Amino acid sequence: MSNTWFFYVFFAAALVVAGLAGLLVKRNLIKLFICIEVIGKGISLLLLSTGFAKGNILTAQALVITYIVIEVSLVATALALIINVYRTSRSLDIRRLAKLKG
Amino acid sequence: MVLFSVLAIALKDLLQSAVALAVSSLLLGIIFFRMDAPYAGAFEISVVAGLITVLFILTIALVHKGDEVRESRLANWVFPLVFVAFIVIDALVMKGLLGKVPALASGAETGTFGEVLWKGRTLDLVGQIAVILAGVFSVLALFRKGDKHE
Repeated sequence: MSNTWFFYVFFAAALVVAGLAGLLVKRNLIKLFICIEVIGKGISLLLLSTGFAKGNILTAQALVITYIVIEVSLVATALALIINVYRTSRSLDIRRLAKLKG
Repeated sequence: MVLFSVLAIALKDLLQSAVALAVSSLLLGIIFFRMDAPYAGAFEISVVAGLITVLFILTIALVHKGDEVRESRLANWVFPLVFVAFIVIDALVMKGLLGKVPALASGAETGTFGEVLWKGRTLDLVGQIAVILAGVFSVLALFRKGDKHE
């Protein structure tokens, strides 16, 4: 059990760090959002694997489902924002967004 | 799964990234099923791998010229370097850290998933409904504003 848990935590940490590194180096807005999604995947894997290892799988499952619902709402709002940003600035480059005035 | 997630970040084409993210969600759902969590697995596959991928592809189709964002040259080698370095550190340190995590004092769960969700996490469900409503209203507000501009 502990060995399996180790592997899951290992991969969850790898996902979170991959997402964070992507957030730091990428410039495309949609790409940045994909990085946030990857971080979320790491967190949900960590939640469920810990619940599985400690014998609390049902609570962990309920938390993961809550997270998925929040994620859908977040994705819909963020993608609508991205489309609006694209309509305004005709670009998805975050450097160009930083130069916007007014 | 980690490979597909990393591919989703590293690939230059946005559409390929979205598909890689969907495959990674699918594999995560299969892992959930293997961990005796069928409800979470079903949600992950149907909602995250299905609905969110559709939303991503729709957005990418709407902003097709946004593909042309020039990434910095630094990103091409910094990202893999950071990731590989972390994997090495992770492999060396994680086992020792996990041994130090104290056991949580929680009793064993009883009942079915439905009982835990409806009786134990009732407030979460109310929060979920509020979040869905907030999402719907925010999308409505954002698109209504866009229409007025046109």
